Amino acid sequence: MLRWAWLIAVKDLRIEFRARGRFLAMIAFVLLAGFLFAVSLDRTRVDARDVAGPLVWLVMLFASTAGAGRAFDAEDEAGAFRHLLLAPAPRPAIFLGKAAANAALVAAVAAAAFAAFALFLGIRAPGALASHAGVLLPGVIGLAATGTFFGRISAHSSLGDTLLPVLTFPLLVPMMFFGSTGTARLLMERPWSEVAGFVRLLWAFAVGSMAAGSLLFRHVVDD
Amino acid sequence: MRLEGRGLSCAYGPTDALQDVNLVVGEGVLAVFGPNGAGKSTLLRLLAGERRPDRGSVLLDGVPVSAHDAGWRRRIGLVGHRSGLYGKLTVSENLKFFASLDGAAESGRVAAALAAVGASALASRRAEALSRGERQRAALARALVHDPEVLFLDEPFTGLDAAAASALEEVLSERGRRGRIIVLVTHDVVRGKALANRVAVLSRGRKVLDCEAAAAGVRRIVDLMGAPRPQSPGSLGEAGRRSAGAADGSQSARP
Amino acid sequence: MGSKSATIGGVAFAATGAAIVLAAHWMVAFWVPTEASMGLVQRIFYVHVPAAWTTFLAFGLAALASAAYLWLEDERADAAAVAAAEGGLVFGAIMLVSGPLWGRIAWGTYWTWEPRLTLTLLLWFTYLGYFLLRNSVRDVRRGRRLAAVVAVVGALNIPLIHVSVSWFRSLHPEAVVLNPEGPTLHPDMLVTLLTSLGGFTILFLGLLWLRYSAEMAGRPSDAEPAEQTPA
Repeated sequence: MLRWAWLIAVKDLRIEFRARGRFLAMIAFVLLAGFLFAVSLDRTRVDARDVAGPLVWLVMLFASTAGAGRAFDAEDEAGAFRHLLLAPAPRPAIFLGKAAANAALVAAVAAAAFAAFALFLGIRAPGALASHAGVLLPGVIGLAATGTFFGRISAHSSLGDTLLPVLTFPLLVPMMFFGSTGTARLLMERPWSEVAGFVRLLWAFAVGSMAAGSLLFRHVVDD
Repeated sequence: MRLEGRGLSCAYGPTDALQDVNLVVGEGVLAVFGPNGAGKSTLLRLLAGERRPDRGSVLLDGVPVSAHDAGWRRRIGLVGHRSGLYGKLTVSENLKFFASLDGAAESGRVAAALAAVGASALASRRAEALSRGERQRAALARALVHDPEVLFLDEPFTGLDAAAASALEEVLSERGRRGRIIVLVTHDVVRGKALANRVAVLSRGRKVLDCEAAAAGVRRIVDLMGAPRPQSPGSLGEAGRRSAGAADGSQSARP
Repeated sequence: MGSKSATIGGVAFAATGAAIVLAAHWMVAFWVPTEASMGLVQRIFYVHVPAAWTTFLAFGLAALASAAYLWLEDERADAAAVAAAEGGLVFGAIMLVSGPLWGRIAWGTYWTWEPRLTLTLLLWFTYLGYFLLRNSVRDVRRGRRLAAVVAVVGALNIPLIHVSVSWFRSLHPEAVVLNPEGPTLHPDMLVTLLTSLGGFTILFLGLLWLRYSAEMAGRPSDAEPAEQTPA
């Protein structure tokens, strides 16, 4: 099972590395969004640290949603996905492999988002990078899992990427709330104990979405 | 080995793409002909188990099969309309990836599959840089790399030059002689009939002919394919009667 | 079940439900005493609560039927899911409009992170996606299956939504939730509420029945041709 997932994830990342377009576009989007927020906020009235938490998460959400819509482009470009499905790989493994590759991209996006806000809004996160990563990581996994799952679903729809946020955002509301609150508290240099509860729930969402995605993926891909 | 479709029906929308098709495929090559939109590709999808038929079933040696079953997927190979290769990967990376999914990753296999279709020179080129014919050969090599017992081909001659086409014919007839099952969907009647042990014709989602390849003339197959039912009911009816007499398990055109 | 008798049954059910709902409206307008602290606006409550109950009933049925469809691949489960989901969207819209109108007076704000309100909004959007998806997939059978997946995943997420909303609320203690089902409900109010509740439920079940039989009748059925042509 994991062997197949690994093969698929490595294949995806290799293609991603060679194409680079999607990855670079996501990173550029994140940096520009950080820049735009910095320009739009009247920082004489708003403390950037108060709003940076939700904004980082929103940027991650938008970037990963835009990227997820494209996650199956390489598969559909010449009909390769049909052959992936005809190979003996179990459906959960295909989902896990693709979600893992997506998670790697979303993780890079999360890091870029964080860096962009630190840079443009002048936020310093002294010595707490590991804590921030601890909050962002389950979010990255959850975003990658939902993006991969619903990215495949919306690929079958003639509405395509327009439909994707309609399907995912209602599901992501709890995760966005836990994540942005957690990050915001860390930016205010609150102790880890104040975010530990949020992180547990983020992991519940991450693990839950991976598990549900694995189990339900066959209903998405098998005719 | 015997692959059998029983009462296969399938609809994507309000109209049926395939209606109650019965088909038995023995060892060797079965060529399925039909005009565009006759349901050939749908039949292939159902036989390969990619899509569950709305009604009917597919059986191998009497046991129902489905692509939802990994054991079955290991035994089949497929060449579709499109190459199904990852453009950013080289041909040999593509083949290695699919072979490793099949648990058949020995390096010799990829080289052997490429050599079998005369595509060794393509190994290190990216799939996106190949011509139509080259892609077709690479796709064929991918379908052969795990040495499947059942091979499904959808218009495999499209885009092939004369040399590649005869190489493909050689591969197919050699596999047929070795007792493998090959289902070949094409509208190239001359080439298909020459290769096939058995031929079938689909029209508007129904089977209108199913007989030994030797028993059907090219002319008759073309007539069946070309005959639009409402305009010339006579020719189709006649062909249907003849086909019914020609082979068992066949089914005449609709009344 | 013959589709004609099903239609008659559905119409009878829906008409009965509609009549009771009308009667309940008459009671709301002319009969029930005005609640002391909130005044006239409290009367929205007799529409809002039954609509909310019906919405949850509908979405619950839709999710169960969708899961059944994925499991059994039975057309009837899908038809039931669509019929229920449609009802859920309609009654959900009533709830989502009436809730804030009442909330503006009762809570002083149109929108608040009241768990049930938030949950309904998110479920409502989920089922909006359900229909958008269903109707935009060319392969009909695949469209049904993907929509069923959306309904099931939406239901799985409910516990997390619930936790997040209650946590969110705890951060904003000023959003005081007034308990409308408090112990001081006047008996006449209770009667009105129950009438309305019954009317909404019967109306919904009637519409469900109608939509279900229309849905089944409109399908080029899998089973019927075989039954019709035994020869």
